[in-house]
This record gives sequence, structure tokens and C-alpha cells, in this order.
Amino acid sequence: MLRKSVSILLLLAILLSASFALADGAGITVTDMKGREITLDKPATRIVALTAADCEILCALGAGDTLVGRGTYCDYPESVLEAPAVDSGAGTNVEQIIALEPQVVLMNTMAQTLEQVEALENAGIKVVVSEATDIASVYEAIGLIGALTGKNAEAGEMVAEMQAAFAEITANSENAGKTVYFEVSPLQWGLWSAGKNTFMDEIATMCGLTNAFADVDGWGEISEEQVLARDPDYIVTITMYYGEGPTPVEEIKSRAGWENLKAVKSDAIFGADSNEISRPGPRLADAARALYEFVGGEAADN
Amino acid sequence: MKSERFRWYTYGLFSLALFGAMLLCVCAGSVSVPAGDTLSVLWNALCGKPSPDGISGAIILSVRLPRVFCVALIGAALSLCGAAMQGLLRNPLADGSTLGVSSGASLGAVMAIAFGVSIPSLPYAGTMAMAMLFAFLSLMLILFLAYLLDKSLSTSSIILIGVIFSMFASSVISLIIAFAGEKLKSITFWTMGSLSGSNYAYALILALALLICGAVILRCSQELNAFAVGEDNARSVGVPVRRVKLTILIAVSVLIGISVSVGGTIGFVGLVTPHIARMIVGPNHKKLLPASMFSGAVFLLLADLVGRTLVSPIELPIGVVTSLVGSVIFVIVFYKNRRKG
Repeated sequence: MLRKSVSILLLLAILLSASFALADGAGITVTDMKGREITLDKPATRIVALTAADCEILCALGAGDTLVGRGTYCDYPESVLEAPAVDSGAGTNVEQIIALEPQVVLMNTMAQTLEQVEALENAGIKVVVSEATDIASVYEAIGLIGALTGKNAEAGEMVAEMQAAFAEITANSENAGKTVYFEVSPLQWGLWSAGKNTFMDEIATMCGLTNAFADVDGWGEISEEQVLARDPDYIVTITMYYGEGPTPVEEIKSRAGWENLKAVKSDAIFGADSNEISRPGPRLADAARALYEFVGGEAADN
Repeated sequence: MKSERFRWYTYGLFSLALFGAMLLCVCAGSVSVPAGDTLSVLWNALCGKPSPDGISGAIILSVRLPRVFCVALIGAALSLCGAAMQGLLRNPLADGSTLGVSSGASLGAVMAIAFGVSIPSLPYAGTMAMAMLFAFLSLMLILFLAYLLDKSLSTSSIILIGVIFSMFASSVISLIIAFAGEKLKSITFWTMGSLSGSNYAYALILALALLICGAVILRCSQELNAFAVGEDNARSVGVPVRRVKLTILIAVSVLIGISVSVGGTIGFVGLVTPHIARMIVGPNHKKLLPASMFSGAVFLLLADLVGRTLVSPIELPIGVVTSLVGSVIFVIVFYKNRRKG
């Protein structure tokens, strides 16, 4: 089966990238996701992670105690909040990071610039770029972080667990030709949806669904009338609920003109955990399981 | 002799152009609905009959029509404000966006979202009230600062202060976002502005505001003409300068505040269309103000049409389109003006 051979290939790729962590004496050499080589004498014990996903991976690998600083948006698991927060993104504060005396800074170049990477390297801090854009590269990021912290075995296990979870979902779902529309922001702020090359798209495919906006690349603001015309079978919203007014799901149901959509009529609207489904970390498996259960439950009712 | 006021047929022509633009914008969109279907949906709705089956009814009546109404009303309101301020300040570059009034309104709205200012049982009223209040306060502050700097309120000093105030307002917004935590996402989306959420309730509020404030501003046409020659001239022909100024500024703040809280900051509409209208009907405010309203509505409708259809199914923010056209015209007007001076 194609899917199986793909996952075997992936596993091989991970093993290969993990083998970059050569047991060359006590040294560790890794190649990060921008193809840069980084060498450490021993597993890192002081790490600053700027992205929420990297924090989650570190903690899930049992290396949460190495975290001496985190980006401002890192909030899961709760234990990471104990680490001091540093500015991330365009306002990444090199001084703040240097003051924490990390051996390694984990960051991506989507929110940070290469200039910032250079500034940190000039200060003698090793910068490792982790930049997962699809599930396959999340595995790579996990392998990379595992190698850095001397948790290769744990990383291998985590990847295997994720793969097993995804494989199980894929095996149990069949493509019944149903479509799903992902709503990233509510109507009031303009409808943003996730098109192809997003985690949401990958997860939808696993659950046997077709993304209604597969013709959009990445995230984009789409026309409301397109949603009405494409009449999706399922709607998944990742809008956060602040505890006031209608919930995102109720709000979608109450929109004028949406009452005749298949998803609204059959109550097939799912409020997904926005962090689970959009962060390139281990919780993507939870997000996939949640969507699978929602879609599966629907199928059982019919 | 040239008539001072519009003849009925001039109004007729403008209304026809506006009606044509609205019809075009209802018929064209990201999803193509045959024009015949569109018209029958509209006709059925007018006769109170249910729309024919299919999605075209929902698309036309729930998405396009309210949006077209909102866009036309916002365009008319912003353009009228621009024309009135340009006349009042004798400044061809005056507009809600160049004077920083729109940024002030956004600041008010963002504060309302961040601190949860709301009026029970009236959704969005808190945001609107704060946007209007801040539009007015920022307009007063900008004029006061400009007056301190230069009593004649000259073109460049007032624009300079407007730009500085815009920057100040956006940094305060960034500051609030930094402290807002969880609500951050809704604020960031809000500052980007969007007309996707348009509905009939918004259109009704906009229409009422435009009806009242528009009437107030149009009644000041004669006074604005007197201001065009100079404030002293206005005073000497018996215009109650202070009262007229305050009336117009309040009306402008209300219109900009409501427009911003519905559609976000839409730049350059109020700047560009009064100039286009001036080229068509001349500088007399009795003609210029109504002509600005019509052309503002048509301009924004067409800009929104481009934004909705150019890269379908993706929607471009309307501000992108208006700023693109507007900034070019801004430069042309600025240079023309400089050469004259």
C-alpha cells in the first residue's frame, strides 16, 4: 500500500537524520532544518525555545527541565510557564536571550530572521532552526530536538507513536467524498481558511475528508459566498472562545444565509483546539484523533 | 448661467451611476451566479416571495446585498467627510486617514474590545461608541496641536501632525495588543479591517448615521463655501465660525467612527473621491458635497468588487485596493498643489 511505504520511507528518513547525531567521542553533531550543521560537546542542558511547538516537543520528550527560557506564546504544558518568557517573532530580543546563558536556542525562521540567528551566533550561542511545515517535517523536528538533548530513544518512540496514531486513523477512515471547510477566523474579521500545505489539510486527508479549499495554498482570506457555493459536509472552526457571547459553533449556525448548508443542517460543526491543530508538535496526533472521532461519530449516527 | 444647485437631472444621472454600480456588484462576485437568477432572486425578495431553490438566494440576499449596501454607505460617508474637512480646513489633503482620525477611531474600538466595553443588549454598540468618541477626541487633539504650531492650519503642518498621531495611535494599539493576551487574535484581525461581516443591521445603522450627519453637513454647504475664501472672510459675512466648525467636526467624527467600526480603516477614499468630484462638478460645496457622496459610493463599490473577484476564492482586503489607487492620486494632488503654491 502506498501509504504504508510512505511511512516506512519517513521512518528511514528520521533514522537517517537521527544518525547525524554521531556518537563521535562525546560530541553531538546535528543538521538543522535549514541544513546548518551544529556541534555540541554533550547533550544540551540549557535551552531557550522560541516557538510553542518546540516547547511542547521538549517537554513531551521529558527534557522540560532543560528549558531556561521560552517565547512569549509558549503556553503548553503549563510547566513551561515557569521558564522566563522572552520576546519572540519580529521583536526577538537578543540581549534577553543571551542573559539566560543558554547553550542552544531553538527557533524558526518564519517568525525570526536570519539576521537574528547571526546575532545570536556571534554571541556564542548555538542556534538550531526547527521549521516544520508538514507532518513529515514535524518528525524531523522531534528527531532533531531528541538528538540535541540526548533523548534519541524517546524521540524515536514519540515519532512511532504519532505515526501509529495517524496510520490507525487513516486505516479506519475511507474517503467517502465528504468535504470539510476549516474556519480559522470568524466572519466578523473576514473568513480565513486553511488550504493545501497546512496541517489541517493533512489531518483532513487522514480522516478521509477533502478540504473544500484545497485550491488555496496555505492560509488565505476567502469569500463567504464561496463557502455557501461549496456547501461543505463538515465545518471545523478553530476560533477561540472567550466565554462571552455565543460560542464559535453557535455563531456559525446563526449566520444569515448559512442555515441551508449541509454542515449546519446536520449539525456537523466542530470546534477544534486551535493550538493542537496548528502547532507542529506531538499534539497534532490528538487533533487528528479529535477530528476523526467527531467525523466518525457523525457517520455512526447516519 | 450655471446653476448653483444640482438640477434634478444631475441627481438623476448620479443616482443612475450609483444604481448601476450597485447592480453590477450584486451580479458579479467570487461565485458566478447567472444575472437572470440574480435578478429573479431580487425581484422575488422585493415581492416578498421566497427565493427559488439553490444557493443563489443565500449568496445574493445574505452575502452580496448587505455588503453592497454597507460598502456604498461607507464610501459615501467617508467621501463626504473628506470633502467637508477639505473645505473646512482649506486643505486638499485632509481626510480621515491622513489626519489620523481613522487611527483614532481604531484605537477607540480596540480599547473597547480589549477592556470589554459593551452596552448590554446592544451588540457592537460599545465598540461603535468608543470609535466615535475617539474619532472626535483625536480630531480635536490633532487640530489643537496643529493650531499651536501654526495658527493658519497650513497644509503641511496639519498633515505632519496627523501622520505623527497615526503612528502614536498604532503604537498604543500594539501596546494594548501586547497586554491583551487571549483577546489578541480578535484585535489583530479587527485592525486589518474587513467587510465580510456586513449585514443589514450594520447597513441600517450606517444609513441612519449618514441621513442625519449627512443632512447636517449638507446644510453647512454655504458656510463651507465662505470658509473656502478664508476663515476671516467667513466671519465677516456673518458665519458663526466656531459653531459651524464644531458641528461639522462632530458630524465627521460620528460618520468616521461608525464607518471604521463596521469596516475597519479604509484609507484614501475620503481623500481621493472629493477630488474626482471636484473635477466633475467644480468647487461649489452645494454641488461638491452630494457629488462626493455619490462618487465615494461608486468608487468604494468598484474597489470592493476588485477585492472580491480578482484572486477568487481569496478575498483581498478592501484597504489594499483603495490605498493602491489612493496613494497614487495623493501624490498627484500633492505635487499639483505644491507647484501652484
